[in-house]
Formats: sequence, structure tokens, C-alpha cells
Amino acid sequence: MYTLFSLNLKWIVRDRILQALLTASLVLIMLVPVLSSFSMRQSQELAVTLSLSFISFVLLVFTLVLGSTMLWRDIERRYTYSVLSLPFDRGTYILAKFLAVAFFIFAGALFIGLCAALAIKVSAVRDPSTLPLQWGRIAVSIFMDSLKYALLAALGILVSTFSTSFFMPFFSAVFIFLSGSASQDVYEFVTSSSGMKLNTAARVAARVVYYIVPNFGAFNFKLQAIYPIPLDPLQIVYAIAYFIIYTTMALSLAIWCFSRRELT
Amino acid sequence: MAKPIEISNLSKTFRGKKGIRVDALRDLSLSIEPGEVFGFLGPNGAGKSTTIKILMGLITATAGSACLFGKEISTAQARLSVGYLPENPALYDFLTGREYLGFVGKSFLMAAADIEARSDEVLGLLELRDAANRPIRSYSKGMVQRLGLAQALLHDPDLYVLDEPMSGLDPIGRALVKDIIRSLKQRGRTVFFSTHITADVEAVCDRVGVIVRGKLEALDSVEHLMRSGIEGYTVQVSGGAPEEGCGYDFRPLKGDGREYYVPKDSFNRFIELISAAGGKVELIETRRKDLEEFFLEIVK
Ligand SMILES: Nc1ncnc2c1ncn2[C@@H]1O[C@H](COP(=O)(O)OP(=O)(O)O)[C@@H](O)[C@H]1O
Ligand SMILES: [Mg+2]
Repeated sequence: MYTLFSLNLKWIVRDRILQALLTASLVLIMLVPVLSSFSMRQSQELAVTLSLSFISFVLLVFTLVLGSTMLWRDIERRYTYSVLSLPFDRGTYILAKFLAVAFFIFAGALFIGLCAALAIKVSAVRDPSTLPLQWGRIAVSIFMDSLKYALLAALGILVSTFSTSFFMPFFSAVFIFLSGSASQDVYEFVTSSSGMKLNTAARVAARVVYYIVPNFGAFNFKLQAIYPIPLDPLQIVYAIAYFIIYTTMALSLAIWCFSRRELT
Repeated sequence: MAKPIEISNLSKTFRGKKGIRVDALRDLSLSIEPGEVFGFLGPNGAGKSTTIKILMGLITATAGSACLFGKEISTAQARLSVGYLPENPALYDFLTGREYLGFVGKSFLMAAADIEARSDEVLGLLELRDAANRPIRSYSKGMVQRLGLAQALLHDPDLYVLDEPMSGLDPIGRALVKDIIRSLKQRGRTVFFSTHITADVEAVCDRVGVIVRGKLEALDSVEHLMRSGIEGYTVQVSGGAPEEGCGYDFRPLKGDGREYYVPKDSFNRFIELISAAGGKVELIETRRKDLEEFFLEIVK
């Protein structure tokens, strides 16, 4: 397991995509103090908001590119013949792929997060806010965001286990991300009184999608990081448990599919 | 001890798009003895790679079963004592040759010191020392093929499954691979390799199986095939009366020499006639169907 895991790490590190992405994210983060200075008041809040959004965006691109292409690249370039004929079982292979991608999501979040902390500090010192900076909450928010993308990566891998093209896992991941981000709102709308006016079929469909597609809203702790809204420990526990259960299911299904896959 | 390879009634049907079915393998049964070099000979598209991919657990058979050293091919353990060279191998090209061997060694749970020593050994054997620390991306096709063989040799397994090991190599590389296969045999290892070139089989194999359109059409020892392929003899004779060779075609050679073609069955009778007439046998050469002709006959 560790052998395959470190192999995948090496692959990602030597991949130009990662290098390009890290460079791009550094440029983005350096823009934070500049952009936030345009705001008359609340430049600190703006800096936090911008940083969190940039981190989220970079992680999203990272997850989409890696999560949905790593397996596809192995199959497309016929590396699977040489790797899966070694004494690994397919479950180990899939888990190693996921762990490598997840590792880079968290490592990337940590790295960009530290840079962002510096950018936020610069903005805060230059233009102090009446609100204290909540470093702990910012960290929690970034961590939860990373969990969200790790979950998305697991789903990207799941789709790659049964698709033969690059497009299918990539756009599935995009679709899952969009619908997963909106699903909480849609669900609340459907169950609200105004939603009752919709016909039953639409309401049932929305409900089904809500239960299948992950609810990414559960991982959103941005408001707590920016404004003095207290963190709810229960909400954190809920999000982590949700991540564990959902990811386990997605990966189990991925292993099941991939074990049946013909590598021709 | 369990046989290195035991295949029973293996069939594989590919279902392509538009419902096209390809029977790539039909009811193949075959067992490979420990220590033998087995040539799996067949024209392109015969089902050689399909068989090998099934053995390595890359694809699943439609029917039948197979074991490697008595272990079901569906388990990862079955591959522990096997060195496999895929057809036109693709190896992770972001690694260097040496790193790739390190990865393979760790997969087979080799100790770090062993990996290093054996890597040096196989890199030297396949003449890849100079390229060892370059990324595989920069290798030529033949170099990748040789590294593919090096990674199969690395953990010194008991069984080698090689899919067209000589393809993509220059004559020197081919000779090298044949030498390696011979030395594996000397060390008691079992080799199962596929090829479409009869000369390769003649050069190194103990036994050959001929597969055509997914069916095993012949299975025999190479020695027996070569012997049974003898059709007759060319005999050079000097002295004696030419008429005594009567009934046999001959062409005159320099001096009073003659060269006869004698079918296998009448060889003894011919020798009697010639010696009775005072002729002297100078040279006998066997005329045989070679494996190529045998192969072509089966394929037709
Ligand atoms: N994935 C596949 N889908 C459909 N047909 C296939 C597939 N792979 C191989 N075949 C067919 O199976 C037959 C055997 O192929 P193969 O085992 O690769 O032959 P070879 O003896 O040259 O290695 C060929 O007719 C080939 O077209
Ligand atoms: Mg082939």
C-alpha cells in the first residue's frame, strides 16, 4: 500500500499540473493584500473572504484535474498492465490513488493556507478591523473545505473506475460539485411552502438528488471564519462523520467496480 | 509441487460495441512443467496476449479456470513468484529506470539491500547502466522493452511470463534475450513466452504450443517436432557405378561425385545399393520441414 501511495505522490509532485497550480495559487494569494486595500472599510474581512475563496478555487481545480484523471491516465497509457500485474490487489490500488490525491489536497491547503495567513496578516496590520482575527476558525474552515474536496476526489475516482474516457469523470465531478453545492438550498426550497407549489415529480426528483449527491453545504464554515459567528461543535462532528461515511461508501463502490473491470 | 501454470478449459469472448462478439480464446487447456521453456506460438490476433492477460489477472475469462503454482489467478498472491513482461510495455515514464526497479522490488516485498544489488545486476545484464538514472520518458522503444525484461527478472521469480519478449529489439537485443532465457532454464526457472516467430521457438524452447484463432492446434516437444519433420536426406556419393543409384534423382558433382535425394523410408535400401555398387558415401545431410513450414501448415 505504502509503495503504491508513494509512487502516486512522486507522480503528482513531478507533474507539471501541480507546479503550475501552485504557482498560480501563490500569485492569487499575493493579490489578496492588494485587492483588499481597495475596500474602504472591512479590508481585513475582505482579505479573509478572498483568501478562503482562492484556496477553495485552487483546491477545486486540483481535485478535478487529479481526482478524475489519475486513474484514466493509468488506463489510457496502459500503465495498468505493468502495475496491476504486480502482486497488488485492485482495492489497494484504488485506495492508494485516493490517499495520494487526498494527501495533496490537505498538503496544498496547508501550504496555500500558510501563505494566505501571511497575506491576511499584512492586510490586517495595515488596516486593523474592530473584529479580532479568528485564526482557529479560519483553519477549521480551510480544513472542512479540504474534506469537501477529498470527498469530491473519491467520487471522481469512482466515476473513473467504470468510464473509459476522460470527459465522463471530469464533467461528472463538475456536475457533482455544482449540484452538491446547491443541494442544501434546493432541498430547503423544495420542502418550504413555496416549493410545495411544484409538482410532485419534481419534488421527488429533487429529494432523490439531495440524498444521492453529497451535501457540500455541510462543509461550509466560511461565515464563521469571517464574522463573529460561534462555531457549533456538533456541526463539525456532523461534517466529519458525513465525510467518513460518504467517502467510505464511494471508495467501496469504486473498488467493487474496478475489481470487475477488464483491462484490455 | 503444484505446476507453474495450469490452465483448464479457458475461454474468452469479447463483447465489442454494436454487439460484435470475438471468440478470442476457445476451450484452452494447458499445463506447464517446472523448469521448462514453453513457446506459445501463433499468428497475430491468435489469442496469445489474451491468454497471458487472463493469467495475470488483468482480464477475466468467460469460462474455465487457471492457477499459477496452485493459486487461483484471481488472487494477488498468485503473482508473487511470477515475473511478467507485458506486450510493448508501458512503464511509468516519470520515474528513472532505477526508480522503477525500486518500485517493482518493493511491490514484491524485497529488502532494500537486495533491491539495490539486484537492480545493478539486471541493469548490467540488459545493458541499461548508462540510462539507469534517466527518466523512462527519454528511453527508446527497445530500451523500454529491455527495462521491462529487467523488472521481470528483478525478484528472481520461479516463473516468467513474457509476452513477445523479442519484439522491438535489434538483432543484438534478440540474441541477448535468447541467452537470458537459456540461462534461466539452466537455473531451473520456468519460462512461458509468446511469439509469432518460429526461429525463436527453435532456438530456446523445450516445448511449443501452437494457437490459431483462439484454439490450441498443436502441442509437442520441439525436439520431437524437429525429428518428425525429417523428410529425407541429401547424400553425396563418389565412385561406383552411377546406374546403381537408379530410381533416385541425382545431379552430378565435380569429378565422379553425385548428389542424391533420398526419401526417409528408402534410406537404408539406398545405402545397401550404393555400397553393393562400390560407391562411397561422402556426406549426408538431413532434409527436413522446419518449424516454419510446420507452423504454416497448421495455420492454413
Ligand atoms: N478488448 C478487446 N475487444 C475486442 N476484441 C479483442 C479485444 N482484445 C483482443 N481482441 C481480439 O481477440 C483476438 C486475440 O487477440 P490477442 O490475444 O491480442 O492476439 P495475439 O495472439 O496477437 O496476442 C484478436 O482477434 C483481437 O482482435
Ligand atoms: Mg499479442
